[in-house]
Amino acid sequence: MAPVQASRSNARDLLRPEVLASLKNLDLVARSVVEGVLIGLHRSPMFGFSQEFAEYRSYNEGDDPRFIDWNVYARTGRTYVKRFLGDTNSHLMILLDASASMGFGGPPVSKLRYAQFLAASLSFLAARQHDAVGCMVFDEEVRDYREPSTRSGKLQGVLHCIDSATPATGTRFDKPFDKFREQVSRRGLVAVISDFYCDIDELLAGVRPLAWHGQDVVLFQVLDKDELDPQFKSNVLLEDLETGEAIEVAPEFMRDAYPQRIRSHIDKLRKAAAGVGADHVLVNTSESLDHALRNYLLFRQRRQ
Amino acid sequence: MSLLAPLFLLGVLAVALPVWLHRLQTQSSERKPFSSAMLLETADQQVHVKKKLKYLLLLAARIVLLVLLALAFAKPFIAAPPVAITANESGTHLVVVDTSASMGRTGISEQMRAEANRALDDAPADALLQVVTADTAVRLLTPLTDDSSVARSALASVAPSALRLDYGEAISALERLVTSLPPPVTLHFVSDFQATAMPARFAEVIPAGFAEFVPHVVGTGEPFNWSVDFVRETPGGLDAGISGTGDRERIADVDLIINDTVVESRGLNQAGSQVLHFDSLVYAGGENRVVLRINTDDDLLADNNWYHVVDNDPPAAVPLLTLNTGGLPVTYLSAALESAGNYRVEPMMIGDFDPRILSRYRWLMLDEIGFIDQQLERALTEFLQNGGNLLAFAGDRAASLESLPVSGHRLAASRIEAQAGAFRSVGQIDDRHPVLSATEGWQNVHVSRNLPLDTLEGDDVLIRLENNEPFLIERRVGQGRILLLTGSLDNRWNDLPVRPVFVSFMIEAAMYLSGVNEIPKTYTVGSSLPLALAGSSSGQVVDPDGNSVLSLADTRREQQIKLNKPGFYEVYTSQGETLVAANVDPLESDLRKINQEVLDRWRDATGGPAQPGTTAFSAEASGTLDLWPWILLALAIVVIGESILGNMHLTLRRTERA
Repeated sequence: MAPVQASRSNARDLLRPEVLASLKNLDLVARSVVEGVLIGLHRSPMFGFSQEFAEYRSYNEGDDPRFIDWNVYARTGRTYVKRFLGDTNSHLMILLDASASMGFGGPPVSKLRYAQFLAASLSFLAARQHDAVGCMVFDEEVRDYREPSTRSGKLQGVLHCIDSATPATGTRFDKPFDKFREQVSRRGLVAVISDFYCDIDELLAGVRPLAWHGQDVVLFQVLDKDELDPQFKSNVLLEDLETGEAIEVAPEFMRDAYPQRIRSHIDKLRKAAAGVGADHVLVNTSESLDHALRNYLLFRQRRQ
Repeated sequence: MSLLAPLFLLGVLAVALPVWLHRLQTQSSERKPFSSAMLLETADQQVHVKKKLKYLLLLAARIVLLVLLALAFAKPFIAAPPVAITANESGTHLVVVDTSASMGRTGISEQMRAEANRALDDAPADALLQVVTADTAVRLLTPLTDDSSVARSALASVAPSALRLDYGEAISALERLVTSLPPPVTLHFVSDFQATAMPARFAEVIPAGFAEFVPHVVGTGEPFNWSVDFVRETPGGLDAGISGTGDRERIADVDLIINDTVVESRGLNQAGSQVLHFDSLVYAGGENRVVLRINTDDDLLADNNWYHVVDNDPPAAVPLLTLNTGGLPVTYLSAALESAGNYRVEPMMIGDFDPRILSRYRWLMLDEIGFIDQQLERALTEFLQNGGNLLAFAGDRAASLESLPVSGHRLAASRIEAQAGAFRSVGQIDDRHPVLSATEGWQNVHVSRNLPLDTLEGDDVLIRLENNEPFLIERRVGQGRILLLTGSLDNRWNDLPVRPVFVSFMIEAAMYLSGVNEIPKTYTVGSSLPLALAGSSSGQVVDPDGNSVLSLADTRREQQIKLNKPGFYEVYTSQGETLVAANVDPLESDLRKINQEVLDRWRDATGGPAQPGTTAFSAEASGTLDLWPWILLALAIVVIGESILGNMHLTLRRTERA
């Protein structure tokens, strides 16, 4: 048993942010994270990640042709693809916030870098389950977009899209959600990764149509420990990374009032997400990545 | 408000330091990037403003502190505006007090003050008063005032000097002063009215612009005085001229003091002028302090000592390179130079001369430049390049060469032949040159033959013959110079060696080429000593009382030293040190007065047209109020305030860090 425990322990160590930050290749990060998480999930009765056949469905554009059941085609002249137990969601769309505020944090990793690890891991995990994976990087505009696909090689394109995101300008959620509605009509899973420094009502105005449309939305709120529990000993002039606005704050405020405000903001976001059927996952960049992935998998299972 | 030392105001620039430090502190303690200001709230505005106000107060206190400090060093003062004094009917009474050396006569000081006070008493009550002293210069003793007590108190400080008064010069200075005084101006002159102080022209003592001249004669009675008129050095001794006036029954002793030791005493038993001879005197090497002291109780003690400096330095050796140490050139040159007493000619055979000893000398002579061989030419050229000087003559041997060694001049042989049988005189002389400025008689020199040279670029022709050919050329070679006379000294080419001008020429040339200026050793009190005469334009002078005359800053500048005291002055320059003597002007020793008739004419001749109405300004009213004590008080208050504010500032910071 001891070697097994050691192996698990080593795999979990690989998920720590400082370790992942040393890995330059995002593909490698994603593989490491997913393998580590799955090792932890091995033999767990909670999750049905077997390749057990579930049903046939008609072939749609974008589906991997490798899963077409040619026997059925020979008999019926129609194209069907096999679906397995873990394949109830046909695609995963990742909306990654690359606004300037995401550049905050660290060392070892900024919020954006951590969000990139998370996005890459989700992509890799989804691809492993034969889900179509797409990606949209946005700030005030949609800066990059990869439509969901299960084709071979598409994952690399998604990872590249995630990896090339750099923090810049402000945040607007209406444009990426509008774009998403225009491009994707099928039901699926939408993972929004952001720090959500925005007006909650405006955010809900974008999320609500998606939920009504049948999309499963999960909001990954990525925050740094210095945002959750800031430590200042004297008056300090804090400059907003997105607007450039500078506000002089007292250490007493940062010690007492600010943590309450940020917790209140998080709670409000969580309740608002629950109100529209979305899920909310708070991600602390100082914690290991498997925590976020476990939440994702739990969420995914609930939806099945 | 005016400033005594405005340059100290530059210290205000130090204000930049606290301003910069405050700014630095403000900048360094704040500004950090943060993800979003959405949930932030500005610190309590009131607390912040209060804190900033304290910081600004501290900064202001520090700025005020530095400004006050700079201002205190600048010594500000407020000068009260001068009060205009307008003329009235009584006008101005100007009291002039003679403070020349003769006013040091025994018992005369009391008379002088009594007469001056009488002059003040005679002035109307509403008259304006001013007291001045006069010797070599006129000095204002009081400002123009209508308060006689000011003038009387100023008289108490009047004391005779060792300087001379010339009535002509004093009246001239007073005429310039009277133009600034409200008319009519009455001139009260308190003096002993020495006959020797009268100028050559009587008209020079008639003061213009004065309404009245009132002489106040002091020192009446038959004077009795012994004085030294001169001291002259003789071979092996001294001659001293002594004058005695007054009581013939009273005698005096004369002491000759050399270097503070009385070496001889003589008794004087009759008045009148006489010359005392002191023989077989023994001097120490270098400069000797010689004092001739008259021991007597005569009326004027200031002139009983005569100071003289005897220079007993051995004569400087001057090498003369020649082919014949017994020849005429050696004789002429030795006689001329040794007549000055400062030089000793050392004839040396050219063939035996060791060039290695050239470095011992500042300059040397060559009676025939044509005899120089190549080895000696190289040595002499190097000697000149390194700052040595050469006086050379050119004769028959030089005439046989195509060009002269060392100087490099080329000869025109055709012109030599053309000179046969013709006598020429000197045509042009550059009498501005130091060698020739003090020489006279060149027109009496006859030249039958000279070396016709083509002058080179850089040559300075000091003397030209009447045919325009150069006779004396100066040429710089490296750092040294060569003086070349285009004639010989054997009495065949010219008669220069037997003319008197040859002696003065050689002495001046020796001083010029040796780089040593002869400074006069004896001065009259009141005259000026230019330090440049002592070999350098700057230096230090110690007066007879042992005090430095010049401040440290003045020692770097060219100075004219005013010799105001009788005695020995020590002069220190970069060229060495020397001693000069200053004596009371012998004219001050003659205490005889001008005739009463002359004095009456002087008084009667005064009373010219009054100056147009003048408004004068009283210096008495224009006092100054020093502000620096008040600034220091303010400085102390600001220092206390700054300490309190600084302490509050630190308290704030400690609270922040807690």
